[in-house]
Amino acid sequence: MTQPQVNGHLRQDQISAFIDGELSHSEATEIQQHLADCHSCALRVLSATQLKTATARAAQRFSAPPEALARLTAQLRPQEPKKTARIYSFRSVAWAAMAAALVLAASLIGWRQTRQANTLSAELLDHHLATLSSGASPEVISTDRHTVKPWFQGKLPFSFNLPDALPADTTLKGGDLAYLNGQPAALLLFTIHKHEVSVFLTQRSASPMVTVLPGTQSGFAIRHATTHELRIIAVSDVNPADLEVLVSALVEAQTPR
Amino acid sequence: MPSPFHSASFEQLALPLLPSLYSHAFWLSRNHADAEDLVQEAISKALRAFDSFQSGTNFKAWIFRILRNTFLTSRTGIAASRTVFLEDRSDLPDTIDANPTPEEHLIRLDNQAAINRALDDLHPDLREVLLLCDVEELKYKDIALVLDVPIGTVMSRISRARRTLHQQLKLQLGESL
Repeated sequence: MTQPQVNGHLRQDQISAFIDGELSHSEATEIQQHLADCHSCALRVLSATQLKTATARAAQRFSAPPEALARLTAQLRPQEPKKTARIYSFRSVAWAAMAAALVLAASLIGWRQTRQANTLSAELLDHHLATLSSGASPEVISTDRHTVKPWFQGKLPFSFNLPDALPADTTLKGGDLAYLNGQPAALLLFTIHKHEVSVFLTQRSASPMVTVLPGTQSGFAIRHATTHELRIIAVSDVNPADLEVLVSALVEAQTPR
Repeated sequence: MPSPFHSASFEQLALPLLPSLYSHAFWLSRNHADAEDLVQEAISKALRAFDSFQSGTNFKAWIFRILRNTFLTSRTGIAASRTVFLEDRSDLPDTIDANPTPEEHLIRLDNQAAINRALDDLHPDLREVLLLCDVEELKYKDIALVLDVPIGTVMSRISRARRTLHQQLKLQLGESL
C-alpha cells in the first residue's frame, strides 16, 4: 500500500490513508521518510490535512435545532409518561392499529432473537410494522382505486392494475412508495375485517428474489404471487385464507382483458 | 418488549449521538423536517433491533447504518437512488502530475463560502463517505459497514471525493492564488 508510484510520488489514496490514520506504524513511518525528502508530497499532505479540517467545518453548518434535539431526546426516554391528550382523539381504527403495533413489536423482537437469517422477511415485517406503528398517514390516502393507481405513475418504473371489485370486507386505504429488496416497490394498504394488510408490488424482472418466503412469521401471514411482470407480496395478521383471496384478486387484475 | 436495562443501555449509547445523527440525516435528506423524521425512525428501528447489536462492535457505525437504510427507504432516498454513482472502478487512473508544482497543490482554504459550495456540489455518494470520515471520524472499516461496500471502495471514494473538492476549489479560487 505504501509503495510510491512509478514517478516517485505518493498516490492520492496513500495520502488519504495517512492523514486519516489508517496506516500501520511501519507504513506511516515509510510515508514520513518519503515526506522528509519530497517537498512536493509534503505540500500535498499539508493541503489534504487543511482540506479535511475545512470539510469538517463546512459540514457542521447544519446542526440540530434545540427543539428537535429535545423531541429526539424525549423519544429515547420511554419511561417518561407520554402525553395522552392526543391519543384520546384517535379514531377506533387508530386504537386498533396501535394495539396491533404493540403486539407486533413484541412479537417482532421475539422473532428477531430466534430468527434464521431472512432479510426479505425482516424487511417486509419492518415495513408492515412501520405502517402500523408510526400512526402516520400513507402518502396517498384514498379508498378510490382511480386515485391511488395514478398517484404511482412516474414514481415507479412499472405500472399495475387494481381490481374493479375487492373481496368482501376488504377496503383499500391508500398507497405509498417503499424500497424492498433493493428495488422500488408500490406499497398498497388495505384492511380485511379491520386487520391491516400491506401489499408490496415490485418489478419481477429487476432482480430475482431467490429467498423462499415463509408462509407465516411470528403471527403474520405472508402470501406471495407472481404475474408476468410483477411480484406481489402481502403481509398481515389476518386469516391467511382471506389474505390469499386478496392476492388472487390482485393477480387476476393484472391479466389483460 | 425491551427490558428497562436494555432501554437504559440503548439510551446511554444513542443519546450522545443524536446531534451527529441529525446532522448526517440533514446532509442525506437536505431538509430539517425530513432529518428529524429520519432520526426518529432510525432510533425506533435501532431500539427494536438492539438485540442483534453485538456488544464490543462499533455502535456508532451500527446506528449510522440503520439511519442510512432508513433514508434509502424514504421518499427522498428512493428519488436520490435514481442518480447512480458510476465511478467506483478500480481501473480509474489516479491522477497525479509527473512534475507537480507547489501551486498545483496548495489552495486557499480561508474562503469558507467556497468550501461550503464545493461540498454542496459534491455527488451525494462522495459527500456521504467524506462526512463519515472527516466529520464523524469513523474508521474505513466502519464506513464500509455503514455503506455496505468493500473497504477498497471506501478508500477510492474518499480519494475521489477529496480530489473533486480540491479541483472544485481550484476552479473557484484559481485566479486568487
